[in-house]
Amino acid sequence: MRVGVGHPPAPGLSAVWGRIIFRFLLMHRGASLCESLKNYGRMSWEALLARARVWLCATAAAALFVASLPAGSPVHAAAAVPDLSGTYWANVYYPKVPVTGGGDPPLNPAGQAAYRKNQQGLRDGSLQDPVRKLCLLDGIPRLLSTPYPFQIFQFPPGQVTFVHELNNQVRAVPLNEPLPTYEKSIINLTYGGYTSGHYEGDTLVIQSNGFNDQTFLDSSGLPHSDQLMTTERVRKIGNQLEDLVTIHDPAYYTRDFQARYVYQLRNDVRLQDYACGDKHRDLSSVRGVAEVRAARAQKRFP
Amino acid sequence: MPNPFRSSRAVTAGALLGAVSVAAALLPAQGADNASAIPQLMLPRTSGWAGGFTGRIPPAETYLPDDYLHNPANIQRAIALGSPPDKATAFLQSRSLNEYIPPAGGIGPISDGPEHPFYNNPMRAVVGKNGTYRVADLNSEAAKNVMPWALEALKKQNALALAEKNGETRQARCWELGVPNIHEAPQPLYFIQTPKEVVMYQGHRARHVYMNVPHSRNPEASWYGESVGHYEGDTLVVDTIGQNDKTFVDGYRTPHTTQLHVVERFKVVNDGKGLDVSFTVDDPGTFYKPWSARRPRYLVTDRPLNEEDTICSAGNEDRFNLGFDPLPHADTPDF
Repeated sequence: MRVGVGHPPAPGLSAVWGRIIFRFLLMHRGASLCESLKNYGRMSWEALLARARVWLCATAAAALFVASLPAGSPVHAAAAVPDLSGTYWANVYYPKVPVTGGGDPPLNPAGQAAYRKNQQGLRDGSLQDPVRKLCLLDGIPRLLSTPYPFQIFQFPPGQVTFVHELNNQVRAVPLNEPLPTYEKSIINLTYGGYTSGHYEGDTLVIQSNGFNDQTFLDSSGLPHSDQLMTTERVRKIGNQLEDLVTIHDPAYYTRDFQARYVYQLRNDVRLQDYACGDKHRDLSSVRGVAEVRAARAQKRFP
Repeated sequence: MPNPFRSSRAVTAGALLGAVSVAAALLPAQGADNASAIPQLMLPRTSGWAGGFTGRIPPAETYLPDDYLHNPANIQRAIALGSPPDKATAFLQSRSLNEYIPPAGGIGPISDGPEHPFYNNPMRAVVGKNGTYRVADLNSEAAKNVMPWALEALKKQNALALAEKNGETRQARCWELGVPNIHEAPQPLYFIQTPKEVVMYQGHRARHVYMNVPHSRNPEASWYGESVGHYEGDTLVVDTIGQNDKTFVDGYRTPHTTQLHVVERFKVVNDGKGLDVSFTVDDPGTFYKPWSARRPRYLVTDRPLNEEDTICSAGNEDRFNLGFDPLPHADTPDF
């Protein structure tokens, strides 16, 4: 079994092209590119053809060489995959799903009834939040609002792995594998859901379904049905990571809606061990955490 | 007018030069991971290193060391623990599915004894008896290496186990395990290997090993401590300090202090069929001398990280009042 070791060398790509251009210039024996171009103008048709053949042969040889590399080699990966690897940490915590465009989530009457029931239950203690009480898996989009840092690895081959500090949640997203159909997903509903990812240009697209009814969309108890399907578009913008999630759940919502989560690249941060019920890292840098903690201490829910 | 024949030779030479130079420009990126002989602990996403009864268990010889399976002393011991003489290999293999195995030499781990042998589920099938909880043999060489305070703790746990109380291991009660006890856990172990960091994940646990860096001066005590690693040829060597004292070093609940220092060695064996895991435990607050043990794992395919392993605490309450540890839980959930 052959497995590449090392980060996807996207940054190295420019270095490779730099070397190719350097070789190109070298082939003109020190003459500047402009002079070479002028020379092309003075050349006879035969000489021009011969020069063209040189380049054709070189390009073909290079193409053949790249094609001969085993699939999944860094050169291929560099060509196709954006580098999303790193440690990320949000600086805002959202106890409620931050609906893009503002306003409340577009709950339909069934959704409103479920939300009221959840909120009432969380307030009077008749409804447990097992995910938080026993530190299980959050599901999507609740996991996206984590105020703790997390890591992204575009490893092992065929998978993008999100390693979260919160509850030690490891989200293993298989690449280019079909998502189970709705009918299949409801046979065994899960906390973490089923996921499938693929790359579209600079974006990692992740679809998920099959979440069980023990999970909420956020810590306020926003409900979902077994028809929930989320589509995340994850991309890097400078030193930030954006996860734009579309929430599709026709049983509880009148339309699909979106939420946007942004994280800062924090490769200076090491993830810490997390055990349920422990006192964990200082989150004072994350806006919204103090308010939620104060509210929880008074048994108030958002 | 240049000679077209000569020109075409120059063209061929030029093309060759071009191809070679382009190849030269691209080669280093490809060569980097071919040249290295580091252990390929990271597998394709559907494969992992199983430590328990995961899927089809391969023949013992494919991943267990010879000096364990065919050591006359081990075979004798297996028979003393109740194995039929003709089934000693099966007994030793079954045992290795959730127990440390002894080192090739030197002081080994705390273990059971002939008085109260430990039978896990596959061993029950071999010996044809009921399963038992772990009771540490306090007369063994390994027990003589344990300081009195820790021996007292072992005695207490032995009494509980013999009373059929609190016999489950910490991993079965979903707790964070620390090092080396994470190796006792049977769930498949998965690796992510990058030049700066090796991540091991297993069920709901994740461990981070920082490569080729020194330890911090005073790491804050944590469940898995601070692990730094490096490669020694085909072996990943991980050095861990800074663990809290809330974990145990084995399934018999041998305690330890925060002075615990563990060095683990990971090596892929038999053409990728097995993972050799060995470790040395040093804790001047608990043991008179360092001791070591091994926990070989085998390759499983078609088994990516499984949600069942990940949500250990769900529906795992002590329903029959067997004195189990409470599950880890948060009384005031934050988020």
